[in-house]
Amino acid sequence: MTVDEQNKHQLVNQRHRHEGPQKHIVAFIFSIVLTLIAFAAVGAGGVNPAFTIIILLVMAVLQVFVQMGYWMHLKDKGHMIPIIFMLGGFFVAGTAIITALSWMWW
Amino acid sequence: MAHAHSVKRYKGLMDWLTTVDHKKIAILYLLSGGLFFAIGGFEAILIRLQLIKPMNDMLEAQTFNELITMHGTTMIFLGVMPIVFALMNAIIPLQIGARDVAFPFLNSLGFWTFLFGGILLNLSWVMGGAPDAGWTSYTPLSSTMYSPSHGVDFYTVGLQIAGLGTLIGGLNFLATIITMRAPGMSYMRMPMFTWASFVTSAMILFAFPAITVGLVLLTFDRVLGANFFNVDGGGNPVLWQHIFWIFGHPEVYILILPAFGIISEVIPTFARKRLFGYSSMVFATILIAFLGFMVWAHHMFTTGLGPVANALFSISTMLIAVPTGIKIFNWLFTMWGGQVKFNTANLFAVGFIPTFTMGGVTGVMLASAPADFQFHDTYFVVAHFHYVIVGGMVFGLLSGLHYWWPKMFGRVLNETLGKWTFWTFAIGFHMTFFVQHFLGLMGMQRRVFTYLPNQGFDTMNLVSTVGAFLMGVGIIFFTINIIKSFMQPKGCANDPWEDGRTLEWTIPSPPPEYNFKQIPLVRGLDAYWKEKAAGNTEMTPAEPIGPIHMPSPTIIPFVMSVGIFIAGLGLMFSGEEFSSSFMSFIFNNWIVCGLGLLITFGSMLMRSLFDDHGWHIEPEEFEEEGYKHG
Repeated sequence: MTVDEQNKHQLVNQRHRHEGPQKHIVAFIFSIVLTLIAFAAVGAGGVNPAFTIIILLVMAVLQVFVQMGYWMHLKDKGHMIPIIFMLGGFFVAGTAIITALSWMWW
Repeated sequence: MAHAHSVKRYKGLMDWLTTVDHKKIAILYLLSGGLFFAIGGFEAILIRLQLIKPMNDMLEAQTFNELITMHGTTMIFLGVMPIVFALMNAIIPLQIGARDVAFPFLNSLGFWTFLFGGILLNLSWVMGGAPDAGWTSYTPLSSTMYSPSHGVDFYTVGLQIAGLGTLIGGLNFLATIITMRAPGMSYMRMPMFTWASFVTSAMILFAFPAITVGLVLLTFDRVLGANFFNVDGGGNPVLWQHIFWIFGHPEVYILILPAFGIISEVIPTFARKRLFGYSSMVFATILIAFLGFMVWAHHMFTTGLGPVANALFSISTMLIAVPTGIKIFNWLFTMWGGQVKFNTANLFAVGFIPTFTMGGVTGVMLASAPADFQFHDTYFVVAHFHYVIVGGMVFGLLSGLHYWWPKMFGRVLNETLGKWTFWTFAIGFHMTFFVQHFLGLMGMQRRVFTYLPNQGFDTMNLVSTVGAFLMGVGIIFFTINIIKSFMQPKGCANDPWEDGRTLEWTIPSPPPEYNFKQIPLVRGLDAYWKEKAAGNTEMTPAEPIGPIHMPSPTIIPFVMSVGIFIAGLGLMFSGEEFSSSFMSFIFNNWIVCGLGLLITFGSMLMRSLFDDHGWHIEPEEFEEEGYKHG
């Protein structure tokens, strides 16, 4: 490794300060638990299917937040642009899908 | 310590096939966009010749349908979009003080996929008939029942491949503008053209997936027998209209926003004043982009959405007039009190304002749902969208081309010829399309291949055709001007207009391969103008002179695009009965399609397995390293 590259590496380390593995372990366990709840909800059966669907959706939304925030680093600083673009994308796609479908199959 | 990697330098044709330099890719975009623009223009002339007199039998109805379909599709997707991309490629890295785009490899890939998509689409003329279902390709007209030939397949597959290139290009510009601005250039110090391109790229990112999905569904319906748009199979043809216009309306703003950006550069330069209301311009651009996604159903007022939906979309459409009005007034106020210089670039920019406003006014008329039931599918609509696309977009592009030609090619275009271009084109344009408003109001339908005499249509159609020829003459003047400019030696000044405001005018014309010897420090909006005002002749550098890292040229993007092209052809003809049994065998068993995909994925594998670290230009090479063409 040349001096140049070493300097660069240090610079990168300073910018992305490593925050230790604890948070990631917690996030990982949380992801697993969410998945287990979803499986359990279906596996248990017997409950009203509508209720199962609601549980699945809630688990899915929570899962998205964990994935985006921790693994895609959206909770960290300097991710404003990706967040703006994702929200923009959700908004545009959501509007289009909901309105178009509701008109066609009202 | 930089280590010098050796790099293979290509010459001649191979240089152009392998280039990843944004300036050369810009020229490639300009060349191919210009070629398709000429094809689309020729189709327009044929359409107008057929309509020159009532009951004309110069063209058959089928040929006429193919011509109008290909005219619209070619002009929008293969004509003006690539010319926009040419200017964005050539200018954005220079305006933000960068040495290239964020992903030079992707930039090249985007160009080649666009070109091969365009070639595929135009091959339809010699391979069994062009698409004939209109540029909107509404189902069920575009279904196999009503369009049994391969025409519409060329449309779906060709546009899919070309659209891939556009999406790649849009993402690349987003990444470039977000990450590669020179030190000191905050978002609110970006030149207006860069801002407009940024917002345009975001719109491409959000809008193109819709058409991608739509084209996939239509391809499945046509080639694989799916039923997405087939009522018999439980599908819904209105779904296509929604998908098409969820893409299609943002698309027309994707076309016009870069023109707004160009006008916002040209007018301040030649008025010798800063742009009036810069922050309101930025705000208006973003607002237009946002509203652009909320108005698609105004193309569908007559499909029976019901009064509530129609009213909502009327209002959201009319709202767009507000930010657009802000822009119009800002341009007028920029000129007010300035020392306005009317050269060709500025003539097109100033001509843009009233012309585009007229298109905007008819837009608000069309936005009114009850009135639209009268206007729908008449020449009034044709007049409206040609006023915004030709009177807006093409005027903007011609302005931008005259303005940045010296920067791209090192040669200033001739002013006398330029003025001839402007006046013939502008007068021809208004002759062609102004009368079409009245033709529409009198009841002439769009997309009809002929009409009966003595309905009051005859004279106005004649005027319209004469106007179309005049526009053609304007474009011929422009072409002569280009050829003439290449007959003189290169060597115009860094800042040939002498009033350049932005970073691109601080470097040689055309710029060296690495653009900036040292990345400049930006100290305000209109960075170069600010330095001039402070009495400096050049920018303050933000870094010491050092070796410059450059991306290596590569043929992989070209090969990848060839693969996609072959796969597209294989898909289209997968169900075809050929006279030769060998041909039937290789197409019907997906061998051709698979071969194409193999080439593409093989190229991706090569790209992933063999790391390319690029190479360096050492400071000693700066002086002799001139940027050479061809």
